[in-house]
Amino acid sequence: MKPMKFPYRLLLLQLTGALLLLAPLKANPQAEQSVGRTRSGLQVLYDFNLSTGPVVKDRSGAGSSIDLVISGSNSVRRSSGSLEVRGKTRIQSGKEASRLVNSIRSSGAVSIEAWIRPSKTTLDGPARILTLSKDSTNRNFTLGQEKDRYVLRLRTTKTSSNGLPSLDSSNRSLTPSVTHVVYTRARGGLARIYINGKKNVEKNIGGSPSNWNGAYRLALADELSGGRPWLGTYYLVAVYNRDLSPAEVERNFRAGPGAKASPALAARQKLTASERLFDQHIAPLLSRHCLECHDASTKKGKLDLSAKGPAFRGGKNGKVIIPGKALASSLWKLVENDKMPKKRPSLSKEEKKQLRNWIDSGSVWVGEEIDPLAHTRDKRSGGTWLQRLTIDEYIETVRDSLGVDVAEEARKILPGDQRADGFSNTAYNLTVDLKHVESYAKLARIIVEKMDVVKFSTRFAKRQKLIDDDMRDLIAKMGRWLLRGPLQEHEVVSYRGISTTVASAGGDYKECVELIIEAMLQSPRFIYRVENQRGDGQLWPAGEYELASRLSYILWGSSPDQELLKAAGEGKLTDQKFLSAQVRRMLNDPRARKQSSRFIGEWLNLDRLDNMSPSRKLFPGWERELAEDMRRETLAFFDDVVWEQKRPFWDLLNAQVTFATPRLAKHYGIEARGKGLVRYELASVPGRGGLLTQGSLLTIGGDEASMVTRGLFILTELLRSNVKDPPPGTDTTPVPARPGLTKRAISEKRVADASCGGCHSKFEPLAFALEKYDGLGSRHDRDEHGNPLREDGKISLPGSGKAIHYRTTAELMDLLAGNERVRETLAWKLAQFALGRPLLGSDRRILGEIYAAARKNGGSYQDLMTAIVLSDLVTSTRTESE
Amino acid sequence: MKQKPLSRRMILKGLGSVAIGLPLLEEMLVPSAFARQQEIPVRAFNVFFGLGIPAPLQTEGFKGVLEPLEPLSRKLLIMRNIDQVRCDEKGINAHFDGASGAFTAEAPNGEARSGGPSIDQVIRRGHYPRGLPPGMVPTLIGGTFFRRSRISRFVHSYNPDGSVAATIQEKPRDLFERVFGTLNAAKGSDARRLHLKRSVLDSVVGQYRYYTGDNSPLGTASKARIADHLDRIREYEQRAYRMKTTDPRAPELPERSKLKHGGEADPGGEGIDITLEELTTEWRLMADLYALAIQCDRTRFGSLTFLAAGERIRLKGDYRYAGRKIYQFDDAAQHNRSGSGGCSHEWWHQFDPKKKNEQLRAHAHMKMREVAYFLQKIDGEDFREANGRTILENSLITISTESGDGRHSNVKRELSGVFHAISSAGGRFKTGEIMDVGAEGIDLYNTLLGGMKVPGRLGPPKREARPVDRIRA
Repeated sequence: MKPMKFPYRLLLLQLTGALLLLAPLKANPQAEQSVGRTRSGLQVLYDFNLSTGPVVKDRSGAGSSIDLVISGSNSVRRSSGSLEVRGKTRIQSGKEASRLVNSIRSSGAVSIEAWIRPSKTTLDGPARILTLSKDSTNRNFTLGQEKDRYVLRLRTTKTSSNGLPSLDSSNRSLTPSVTHVVYTRARGGLARIYINGKKNVEKNIGGSPSNWNGAYRLALADELSGGRPWLGTYYLVAVYNRDLSPAEVERNFRAGPGAKASPALAARQKLTASERLFDQHIAPLLSRHCLECHDASTKKGKLDLSAKGPAFRGGKNGKVIIPGKALASSLWKLVENDKMPKKRPSLSKEEKKQLRNWIDSGSVWVGEEIDPLAHTRDKRSGGTWLQRLTIDEYIETVRDSLGVDVAEEARKILPGDQRADGFSNTAYNLTVDLKHVESYAKLARIIVEKMDVVKFSTRFAKRQKLIDDDMRDLIAKMGRWLLRGPLQEHEVVSYRGISTTVASAGGDYKECVELIIEAMLQSPRFIYRVENQRGDGQLWPAGEYELASRLSYILWGSSPDQELLKAAGEGKLTDQKFLSAQVRRMLNDPRARKQSSRFIGEWLNLDRLDNMSPSRKLFPGWERELAEDMRRETLAFFDDVVWEQKRPFWDLLNAQVTFATPRLAKHYGIEARGKGLVRYELASVPGRGGLLTQGSLLTIGGDEASMVTRGLFILTELLRSNVKDPPPGTDTTPVPARPGLTKRAISEKRVADASCGGCHSKFEPLAFALEKYDGLGSRHDRDEHGNPLREDGKISLPGSGKAIHYRTTAELMDLLAGNERVRETLAWKLAQFALGRPLLGSDRRILGEIYAAARKNGGSYQDLMTAIVLSDLVTSTRTESE
Repeated sequence: MKQKPLSRRMILKGLGSVAIGLPLLEEMLVPSAFARQQEIPVRAFNVFFGLGIPAPLQTEGFKGVLEPLEPLSRKLLIMRNIDQVRCDEKGINAHFDGASGAFTAEAPNGEARSGGPSIDQVIRRGHYPRGLPPGMVPTLIGGTFFRRSRISRFVHSYNPDGSVAATIQEKPRDLFERVFGTLNAAKGSDARRLHLKRSVLDSVVGQYRYYTGDNSPLGTASKARIADHLDRIREYEQRAYRMKTTDPRAPELPERSKLKHGGEADPGGEGIDITLEELTTEWRLMADLYALAIQCDRTRFGSLTFLAAGERIRLKGDYRYAGRKIYQFDDAAQHNRSGSGGCSHEWWHQFDPKKKNEQLRAHAHMKMREVAYFLQKIDGEDFREANGRTILENSLITISTESGDGRHSNVKRELSGVFHAISSAGGRFKTGEIMDVGAEGIDLYNTLLGGMKVPGRLGPPKREARPVDRIRA
């Protein structure tokens, strides 16, 4: 055998036999691109990370864990990441491995993987490396050592209860060195042994594992009944209920014995204790208690604590944070004595302790700017909810997977999806009530009635028979398509139950298929995006089929197509290059365009326009149709910037173009041209250009064209900041304009007021440039009292460091479009919609990477979506500890 | 009021002309539905009203805005000086904080999530860990409200993970169908077809059961969501396949609501015009139906909302109480503003204890009248149970609101002195008093949970409990 060529300098065996993991060598490009080990179909996983105790934990996260218990601990030596067996011992599951058995029985396929170092080449019996068996002659499978060969005995309906004939690796393929050995057997019978990523041997092992015994236990290093000891070191053992592809075997080999993810992913998860302290406690604390007066816009005492640079530079009295020295830091001293925050509740004892610890431990600051909204959410982010299909997703999924349009019926029957945290696809709020259940059942019937189910079934089955083999085959193939991934045996059995009921009731093939489809359309795997969420609390790579669904629902708002499912089945989606190519393909599909318009509609809450009812007295000329024109304007504008011109996404804020009907053009004071929606260049039209100058957004201020509401929109939606409640004693009733007193003047009074200005200075100046637009978005130079209106102003944007003057609305739009914070916030908005959950402070680092990657490539919608989909936010899952 | 009273007896026996139709449910036919149940079930409901009663007005007792509660004074414990300051989430609208804190004592955790469960849900899980009897609505949430920018403004029953415990029914007809409706699945099907449909449903149930079981790949929150879905499927199964057909004697469904609902009811936070007659007619039908659902033992837990937190309506109408005119509502004209500036909400912002606050008083009085309407309904003779007490007396009815002031002036003022009242929950708690409690909402709620003998408690596990024993009977 040739010397092994490891992708990483993984292991250095010291004289004592201890194992050290070193940093990757000059990383193989392929290894760098890998997103880690494949996890799809994983049923048990032992990573030997516990260095003490008698238990070897199953880290697969696949249902109830099959932990192993070591008896005879004197014969083993444990360290984090390995288990060395030095003498006879028993390492067995405490219970029957029925879950594992069932899953392989149902799939008909299996892969057995081990990272091991045999102690010598003289062991035989075969010596049991891993076995799922009863005794020396009854087994489901055994991976063993027969001197210098690996031996795999697998029980099937065509092999003996002892798993004979076995599949043996070539002579001298086993050496006393760290080795990656994988056995795969496909449902059709093709069995292979791979050693260090390369195929060593293959042959056909006929039959199926349907005769596996569910009462057998799993064991390492010896037979269950003893007498076949194996000596050596384990680094990783895994069993899958499918046959890994050669590419997946190679990737797992390249990933090394680290059980979780790629080294890059693992590294990204790691925060030092100091970084965690800042991320989890200090940033939220500063957000809650300090930024009201000390952010970039307010900067009382010239101190800005909202970003790293300015915070460490200090204020007019010098530095306030001295890293490592809390007692010398005025920030700590003022907080300790409750002199800060002024006129607000003091910090709690616990918060003070955290602040002091943070300064004393070196004041580590993660990232640049603090994100108040995300950090406050982090405090109680709660659990991870699986996503129910929204009404739009349901409609599109039915259309794409069954070729049926149920848009009208679904919109009428299904209860509406409520907005939460700005979007109606927020998973935690996609609850289900009786009405949903009833609606899904009704819709399932409507759908099959609209279909030619027999014709549809021919895509999956050649024979239209009700006999068992044919029906099982149809169910497995049709189910894989409709339920977006392979079915497990219990699912096949469940759907098969319907067909037998139909047959016994004298039904025919058509009726049978109809009812199976109805059942599938009501199953959790259709209505929800079911994913594995169980593990060890760390980030795990998403499974291939999970990734296929994530891609399709994020980019299309619909189910994966055949190409994606095929790629998932072949394990290709975890390859970054392949994934990038898929994203490019998908973004060129019309469904991506449609999905993007859903984003803009949701983000700007364009449905709000349907319900506008402005005062007839103030706006006698108001027509309901104008609201629809405004919606169409924004959607067409978005489509033009994003898809026709593929401009940077932030150009949405200042692109000099719009689309208007003659009615809307007149409303805007633009000379109308043509009929219907017409494209207008706006370079010579003062005050128009960009989303904020469109009626759909200008109307958020209500009849009074509230500067507060408009300013808050910019603050929260474009600058991802927030403000507190109004200060003490304030009458919040809006003051009306009158002759000699404009809304701007009223607003400026608030900004200048000692009580109000702390907060209002953060957002009202952002809306000064919009004073000329009335509550419905018409632009005037004078208000209804004849007061002249202005559009100039001065703002402080996060990161800008100083106040910036602008003279016109257009100049403010340019400032916003050019601001890094605004640009990054737009990426955040897209990411939130893509993920279907509010973003947290812990996402910030990845979001920064997404924005940087997209910006580097041009910053278009396509660039942003590509960066989002390729990021850890999409390619991995935050698992929940069992 | 044109509303006709509803009762289970009238509907079941088809007596008289009533406003709604009621299908004949199997559980209505079992003896317990007709005879008084010997064992009184544990029930808990939260009743919410928007915008609150400023703390200074609460001190006036029944001489002021609390007057409509006086007829129920022996059956309620009215509590003052309850603090919900811990519910403040800086940077978020105070109405929303207060609304989220009502019945949970927790700040919001997202626009549609509370920071923890509501007391009715803790009691539900404590007393019915394996679920409620088949076919029963596990949690019934209803209300008449218009402001809808954030769900926590109007939903007041929350799961342990903070998500809403059920979909709110905002139209009387929807609530009727949710509680009493049969489903069409089985209608018109022959026995063979029914058999086949059942096999589909069996398969579906099996799939959901798998994802709630030990082998489920899902995390805790997702599993809970699927478990909830499975419960709804079982309810669907009950309704679709096990109920008898509609009682031919039953009258028609309630009329369709004439009020604005959905997005139309909240045009961008600008408020809507509505008359007192329109508002109270719909609310009282909703309250009647909700009461009927309790009376028929179709639900034991949930919440009922009369106007959302930070509600924005421009109310018009002649308001009378006990034969005397209290006030002539005309918010928009009195504010001389359209849109949000013309809404009753503004009276709360303008509250000044040194002034008369005439408009605010009238609105708050009216709200108490409408809350009392529901309470009196479940205190009626038709609602008397085997132990001689009414459902109001036997249940834990908790009444609260969002604010102790309304001015958004500061957290202390906004979230202290938040009005609370409870019924005796079968003699577990004192009634017949107006008590200055001087406690945090979380301690009050945990005392209620203790009194209801459930193991769960609200708030951080390490928090030192300060039971409000004074309220225990």
